[in-house]
Amino acid sequence: MTELAVPADQAATATETSMQQAVNAALRTLLAEDPATLVFGEDVGRLGGVFRVTDGLQAEFGDRRVFDTPLAESAIIGLAVGLAMNGWRPVPELQFDGFAYPAVDQIVNQMARMHYRTRGAAPMPITLRLPSFGGIQAPEHHGESLEALFAHVPGLKVCAPSDPADAYGLLLQSVRADDPVIYMEPKARYWNRRAVRLGEPDLPIGASRTVREGRHATLVAWGAMVHRCEQAAELAAEDGVELEVLDLRWLKPIDTDGLAASVARTGRAVVVHEAPLTAGLGAEVSALVTEHAFASLRAPVQRVTGFDVPYPAGPLEPQYLPTVDRILLAVQRTLEF
Amino acid sequence: MTHTGPTSERTFALPDLGEGLVEATVLEWLVQPGERVERNQPLVELETAKSAVEIPSPHTGVVARLHAEEGRVVAVGEPLATFAVEAGAGIVGTVPTEEKPTRRVRLRPPAE
Repeated sequence: MTELAVPADQAATATETSMQQAVNAALRTLLAEDPATLVFGEDVGRLGGVFRVTDGLQAEFGDRRVFDTPLAESAIIGLAVGLAMNGWRPVPELQFDGFAYPAVDQIVNQMARMHYRTRGAAPMPITLRLPSFGGIQAPEHHGESLEALFAHVPGLKVCAPSDPADAYGLLLQSVRADDPVIYMEPKARYWNRRAVRLGEPDLPIGASRTVREGRHATLVAWGAMVHRCEQAAELAAEDGVELEVLDLRWLKPIDTDGLAASVARTGRAVVVHEAPLTAGLGAEVSALVTEHAFASLRAPVQRVTGFDVPYPAGPLEPQYLPTVDRILLAVQRTLEF
Repeated sequence: MTHTGPTSERTFALPDLGEGLVEATVLEWLVQPGERVERNQPLVELETAKSAVEIPSPHTGVVARLHAEEGRVVAVGEPLATFAVEAGAGIVGTVPTEEKPTRRVRLRPPAE
């Protein structure tokens, strides 16, 4: 069997682990604990996944539980829906977020609605693993930021981990839940190693996490942008500005209470995402802060986002993705309001 | 060349050796954990019901772990060795570098 740096049954000590290894370890835990769990997608079996996330799983659990599919995203999700209706717990992978578009009909019209349509008779315990966002200089169709699109669809839950420990815990929660979950893995963070303890989830579904405390403003982010916000907070601290960083983790449902509590402490909020500005999830976060923490706000909520253009191919990514300077400028706007 | 960047792990399972053979015995490991290997370098000597065969390494990288000690019988499909190989980003893209970002913007703390 494949031995990863961190055994699925948890050593007591923290170990250097990448997000790639953490997701792999979570899948092993899930495959081992429930014989109904299935992992499938393009190249997840024999190859071990384009990002090596499913490495060794087919050798350990066999090709009836970890298997390759044809290159047909709509069919992958259609298969997951049919399997779920027959009592299985599918964990399909779509190789890149840009390849999710051909599967949107199955995701929106079937996966998200079947439980509702059957008046509860057919739950959809499907977790769609979606390598997401940019930052790896990939060509077109290999980087997107689809969280707002999926969060808008009734019936779906959406989450995005920002570090290896959360990648492990959120995947356990997602797969064990009887609802369909879009689990967005930030590609740019796959190789980042941290000393973490992989264990049972320590927060309920829908909970955010304060990854850095501060009193002057709250940076709200998810996925790879959490790290970017931590970098910005580090630089701001050199200037005597203390920024709180709130990792939303769940994009549907959003932790309204956690968000409001943080803004109540700081009085200012800057939301950072990779997706385009217009109708992005930043607008939802801004509305929630306004509705639930209005009296605490000292300045309008700022949004630092990608631009209203197609997600650019590799060489233009640094111009498109939020930079620490753009984040710090937005913070300055809230400080000077 | 010494590689110091990020690595990813690849597990090599006992391949189908043909002739209907379903298992093999590990006779001798020709590499050790921690050792750097080149693709096609001799990896392990196995004995099947038909003959002894030398299996070459499928990867260039560092041997992370061996999964079967010498003398053990391994079934086709069972893991033999795990390699740490240089992390390409997969089929497309590049592994991002972990650099501390530079900035031009300086902040002024708010008046309390």
